Amino acid sequence: MEKLSQEKKNKLKKQQHLEQKMQRIVKEKPLGQSKGSKSSLMATGTSHKIISSAAKKSKADMKLSDKIYAAASSTTAVAAATSAKAAVAPKAPKPKQKDSKSKVSDKKAAKRATTEGKVKVKDEDLANVAELKQRLNQQGQDWTSLSTTDSPQDGSKGSLCGDIQLSIRSYLEACVFVGDIERSQSFLLSQHRVMSRRKYLTTDVYNIMMRVWAKRGMLNQIGRIFILLEEAGLKPNAGSYSAALECMGRQQNCSPKVIWRCLNKMREDGLSVDDLFSQCVFRQDERDMLLRAIHTVKPDYEPSLSLNASQCSSPLVQDFYTKREHHTYPKLDFTQEELQERFKRQLSVEEACTVTIDSVEGLKPITENMAKMREMLAEQRAQWHKVLLQALRESKMILAKTNTKAYKLDLYPYLCLLEDKEYVDIMIQSVTNMPPSGESLKILARDVGNRIYTKYCVRQKHQNQTVEKLGSIYDAYTDLLAKDTKVYNVLPREQWCKLEMEQHSGPTLQGGETTWPYILILELGTFIVDIMVKNLKINSDILNPAYDRKLIPILYHMYTFRSTRQVGFIKPHPILTQMQQEAMETKLTFDSSVMPMLCPPVPWTSVKFGAYLLTPAKLMRTLDGAMQHEELLEKCENLHPVFDSLNQLGNCAWRINKPILDIIISIFNERGSEKLDIPPPLSEAPKIPHFHPQDPTYTASEKAHMKREVINAKKKCSEMHSLRMDALYKLSIAHRMRDELFWFPHNMDFRGRTYPCPPYFNHLGSDVTRAMLVFAEGKPLGPKGLDWLKIHLVNLTGLKKRSSLQGRLEYGNSIIEDILDSADDPLNGKKWWMEADEPWQALACCMEIANAVRSPDPTKFISHFPVHQDGSCNGLQHYAALGRDVIGATSVNLVPCEVPQDVYSSVAQQVEELRARDAAKGLKIAQVLEGFISRKVVKQTVMTVVYGVTRYGGRLQIEKRLKEIDEFPKNHVWDASHYLVRLVFNGLKEMFTGTREIQDWLTESARLISKSGHTVEWVTPLGLPIIQPYHRTRNQVLKSTMQHINLQISHDAKERPDTVKQKNAFPPNFIHSLDSTHMMLTSLHCYSAGLTFVSVHDCFWTHALTVDTMNKICREQFVALHSQPILDELSNFLLHKYCSTIQTEARTKKYQEYRRLLLLLGKVPQTGEQETG
Amino acid sequence: MSTQIYRALELMLRSSCCQTIRRRSCLRNAVLAPTACVPGGPVFPKRAYSLDSLGPGRPSLGHSLHHPGSERTSPSSALVHRNLSAAAVQGQFRPLCRYDYLDLGEVEENVRRAQACKKTRHFIVDPDLANVVAQHLGPDLQDSKSVIFECNPGPGVLTRALLNAGAQRVVALEGDKTFLPDLQEMEERLDGQLEVLHCDYFRLDPIGSGSVKAPTMFTDKLFTDLGISEAAWTDDVPVKVVGILPQRNERGMLLKTVYALFERLSVFRYGRIELNLFISEKEYRKLVSPPGEMRYYRAFGVLWQMACDIELLHKEPWESFIVSSRQSVPSSKGKFPNDHLCLVRLRPRADLFSAGLTPSNASTLLMMVKQCLAKRKVKLIDRLNLWSPDSGSKLLSELGLPEDILTGNVYPAEYLRLFQLMDKSQEFTQSWLYEEILENTQREGWG
Repeated sequence: MEKLSQEKKNKLKKQQHLEQKMQRIVKEKPLGQSKGSKSSLMATGTSHKIISSAAKKSKADMKLSDKIYAAASSTTAVAAATSAKAAVAPKAPKPKQKDSKSKVSDKKAAKRATTEGKVKVKDEDLANVAELKQRLNQQGQDWTSLSTTDSPQDGSKGSLCGDIQLSIRSYLEACVFVGDIERSQSFLLSQHRVMSRRKYLTTDVYNIMMRVWAKRGMLNQIGRIFILLEEAGLKPNAGSYSAALECMGRQQNCSPKVIWRCLNKMREDGLSVDDLFSQCVFRQDERDMLLRAIHTVKPDYEPSLSLNASQCSSPLVQDFYTKREHHTYPKLDFTQEELQERFKRQLSVEEACTVTIDSVEGLKPITENMAKMREMLAEQRAQWHKVLLQALRESKMILAKTNTKAYKLDLYPYLCLLEDKEYVDIMIQSVTNMPPSGESLKILARDVGNRIYTKYCVRQKHQNQTVEKLGSIYDAYTDLLAKDTKVYNVLPREQWCKLEMEQHSGPTLQGGETTWPYILILELGTFIVDIMVKNLKINSDILNPAYDRKLIPILYHMYTFRSTRQVGFIKPHPILTQMQQEAMETKLTFDSSVMPMLCPPVPWTSVKFGAYLLTPAKLMRTLDGAMQHEELLEKCENLHPVFDSLNQLGNCAWRINKPILDIIISIFNERGSEKLDIPPPLSEAPKIPHFHPQDPTYTASEKAHMKREVINAKKKCSEMHSLRMDALYKLSIAHRMRDELFWFPHNMDFRGRTYPCPPYFNHLGSDVTRAMLVFAEGKPLGPKGLDWLKIHLVNLTGLKKRSSLQGRLEYGNSIIEDILDSADDPLNGKKWWMEADEPWQALACCMEIANAVRSPDPTKFISHFPVHQDGSCNGLQHYAALGRDVIGATSVNLVPCEVPQDVYSSVAQQVEELRARDAAKGLKIAQVLEGFISRKVVKQTVMTVVYGVTRYGGRLQIEKRLKEIDEFPKNHVWDASHYLVRLVFNGLKEMFTGTREIQDWLTESARLISKSGHTVEWVTPLGLPIIQPYHRTRNQVLKSTMQHINLQISHDAKERPDTVKQKNAFPPNFIHSLDSTHMMLTSLHCYSAGLTFVSVHDCFWTHALTVDTMNKICREQFVALHSQPILDELSNFLLHKYCSTIQTEARTKKYQEYRRLLLLLGKVPQTGEQETG
Repeated sequence: MSTQIYRALELMLRSSCCQTIRRRSCLRNAVLAPTACVPGGPVFPKRAYSLDSLGPGRPSLGHSLHHPGSERTSPSSALVHRNLSAAAVQGQFRPLCRYDYLDLGEVEENVRRAQACKKTRHFIVDPDLANVVAQHLGPDLQDSKSVIFECNPGPGVLTRALLNAGAQRVVALEGDKTFLPDLQEMEERLDGQLEVLHCDYFRLDPIGSGSVKAPTMFTDKLFTDLGISEAAWTDDVPVKVVGILPQRNERGMLLKTVYALFERLSVFRYGRIELNLFISEKEYRKLVSPPGEMRYYRAFGVLWQMACDIELLHKEPWESFIVSSRQSVPSSKGKFPNDHLCLVRLRPRADLFSAGLTPSNASTLLMMVKQCLAKRKVKLIDRLNLWSPDSGSKLLSELGLPEDILTGNVYPAEYLRLFQLMDKSQEFTQSWLYEEILENTQREGWG
């Protein structure tokens, strides 16, 4: 009893305290005293309730969070007690165990003895440790400038909790977006009331509601939320004050006193007015209202904004940013007006979110059957549309009625974000694009969910009124790019930021939209798919009137079984597949982000803003739901060189090589050609043998055989179908773009490798797609351009890999007849081009050469053709350079040589020598392989060894190559591949000794870091932070009505790192990050030299005219990059990151581990002579 | 032909020696032996040799004849008696014959050898346990004409126990080379009751490509080498398999086996192979889960229950087995206890393929059951209507099942009858379900 009364007292005290505070705040409010007191009363009411109900509700809440985000916690293994049952067991094992134990201790003793024996060594170690620690202390200050210095645990604030927070935010925002204020308010309050739910709330969540009230000018409501914040123990931030002030600004007669109080309170919280303007994201007229409120008290105030101009810390690009007098940034070959026009067209595409384009199959003549099928499909679709619309509305109603608990996160608001019709369109689109073999529910749901999210983002931008502002900034921005304007001395990103700052009124462009958590996307998607499966029906006699008429579903949900797992699949009914295949529809519908852009992309200016105009894009591609990359990037202060490089790549304009496209389409619409990599239509597929398994005339083995035949035929069919569709998409997009000029916005993967965003059609694609693309801008060939074209052609053939450039040129000249013949009569002539490694690009090059040769003056011939310069095995190059390994460097062309060295050929040669020796010794497999070892067989394996391919993978690669050789006896493939992979690995080990050492150091470092419970992180020389997302798998179950979807999440930063993956992936990822750094450096310097430059990882493209300049820059940047003490810096970074919490307690196991890590990280592998080649 | 006669003669001779003990069985043996064993293979030379060796072995046999009385009281104790007396003459140098008692070996030594095994495996080392298992394979091992396949015998304790119990023909399939020499030595000392092969029973019939090397093997090679021919399904059990199911992939192994059973592939081509396997208690409980047990009543159990008579022969705590790895007791997560290994007899039903089910349409049955039980709390009628609209209620009424029955409440036998009905109806054979089966025969689910 006493306790109770005590508690009551406490409560009362608290209440009083709160009330006092509230009154203080309320007094600051503009409304009359009477209203104020009323609101304060109400507020205390709620707070009282909160305190009393907290305990009761907590249980229910547990359930909620469990239910919604049922993250199956990793089940801890329960070790059964062995001793209890030992009685039953024979006594034998017991002494045995003891025995082994004593052995272990013996070993330990022995170890101790040896360590004691090496006291000297230990002393040295100790000295090392001390030195390293000192180094750490010294560097402490240097590293603080880098934002990645926080302890590793900090970064893993993470997924699960983060997911819930994100879900809450997304839910509130969705409610607010659809204008359902009541729902959002009661949701926030119900979250707030219960302690266990309250812990997921952040100030930003409360701010969402404040914003809503600010729009309505309801200051008293804002006051209440301030009280809630205080109750929750949270501090108001810039967003909160900005909402409050905005609200005051909206009120016609807000007293300056109130505003002053608010400003004073803000100052107490350590925020200045300028902070508001620089930190907050503004929507609609929020900024202006805020300014208005401030102007009432400080009429002269102007926000002082400064460009975020902190200079890049990397010495590699310091000169690039500071010494610009000689830079000549390229201009695009368009007038400003043209660019503005293009912007408008792109905007309208993205506003629609989907594009419908003509399929190239539509160029075929229409048969009667096709027409019939098309008509039937159209009819059905209209029907389905109606049915789906009805079903969607019904399920929405049911949802709205059934969710009576305010705190429950349901899907209802997410189903109101778009027009009902738009949801239905998305459904119909997924039916149309469904492959005949079906799609797993998870993937289908994800795609549908993402589509909804994209549309929602675009609509949000409209609601926030950012589209108009985007237009006006873009218009101004074109001034920098267009050819008819003055020459600028700034980079696109800098110009964009400057413009944004100048046009500060109105909304900010980076809307601060919350990305939906992956689980939400899936849940929403499954809901939609469920509606489709339940409601889409067709008459069973539609194709064959002989069948009974029944209404059958066109999609069905079933399971396929993989190992002991079952995977939910959505499959189309064979009738639907048949109709769709026979109709060969003339239209294809895509998401707008699949198409290249019609105007230069928006430059990346921050982690969240860039690329498309409205469609959201990620700066870094990550696994679905992985957050750690973005968190790291956002903390990073200076990513300018990375942004600038991506912008440069994205700003390259392209156009279609029409003659090539026409030839490809003609073959595609004929019968395809497997040899030329044009997938044939399904009519060319092997016929599926037809048989009745019940037929008694077959014997068992015949049946088994036929079954296998059927399976093989089906497999082949579905492979062919997916290849065909992929080609159809690419060709149709290219066809649509045939008279356009277009751009590919770029982003990167987590190691910094860059990729164009549109997925199907881009310059990274296969030979076929690459051949269809040329630069939009033409440049004269110049004195050496024609030679470069010829050399490029020889390179594309794959011949003469070991000849010097001169040799290749001579070869090119010697076959000029064949070249001209190919160009003039590609399909009926001598067909020389078809034998090349990359036939289509070779053909395109033949045509370009023919045109140039026949022009009056080849040096003045305007060429749009991209000439490629390959890095020769970049991975090995980087290793060789890191290790200053002269022999290795020579063989990968780092050391200038008369004849280009070809590491693949050298390895092949070495392997051949070993093989001959073995064959002479009588090794059977070596004899079988006689005459089969070529550059091609070993190339892929050599290339990937540096990227950490294992023997297992290497063997698979070689097996594939051997299988491609028709003459090679198939029964020896397995043994031969085994044998060869061993030779290749041994050969490489001999050639690249330094490489091995560095690789080992990297691997071992990663292993120890991971063992100590951390994820391996590093920063590229350009300042891009990288983190490896490999963790132990966590299972999360999404429970939907259709089925439970089990998500195996391996990137959750809260889980312990997966040591094997962390360690195996570190060397290749590190090399990839260097290789991407080199590419970025080259791209930046090419930009400042006015070159057109694009890259396919380590293959760089430019105009024939500028090849020499690009090569020079490429080499210079390689040298510059490796003049940096890359490994030492890596060592320092890792030491600082993982060893900065200095352990003092010696002798503990932890200390031993720490010491081992410290010593290892500090011990950078010895490098060769300090010369860079 | 001459060898067969020779062999028959041998058996006659032998049976005459112990006529008083097992008159009937031996006669049958003598008559059946030539037909049961197909001529060929490496078996015969040994047999012939063993005939010669009968001479010196005879005294001990005669010795055992002196105790016919105790024989009748209890077969097991009688065996022990006889064997004990046989052990008395063990010191003589001569090939052992079937009635000699085989020493089960020093327990300590066997434990050491078992633990030296590099792969994680469980071993039977305890002689008592081995004898228990041997008895369960009986009751009259000496009468049975089934061949016994012993999987991964390791140090061979159970092998000896089986032979001691009077097993006529034991084939020891050992996957680990290190155990082979000792087993082979034993094989040589015996006159043909034991054959040792380097073969891992649980890696028979691999799915992947690549060269097949021992211990991986194809069933047809194994059976041809052993001279066992295909038998009709309704014939007696030709082979009894005994062993401990590897813990690493218990479920996958059992699934693979039951698929093979329904389609009569792999070992089941050769007739109704009976399995006597130690499986973990947890997995056993799932195997015999009854309908209504919504969490564990799954396709896996339904198919086994449909195909086999399942009998729990013996339960033994994990600790009784020697494990060649540190982690001896598996964790028991989930609802079921997992304290034991269960010796389970899985004997395929002779009437499985009698009413409409054939090995060729069985794949559809498999798919049907798996689709039905992927979720247990759905109505069966909805599933049926999905395959053939509007036919669900007709089928259910034919089966006498209520309209609203859930898939998790239907008995295995009812599923079998359901399938038989479906297979007869025109509508279902047109359904996509049949297409599905063809695609999935590749059996990614063999794991």
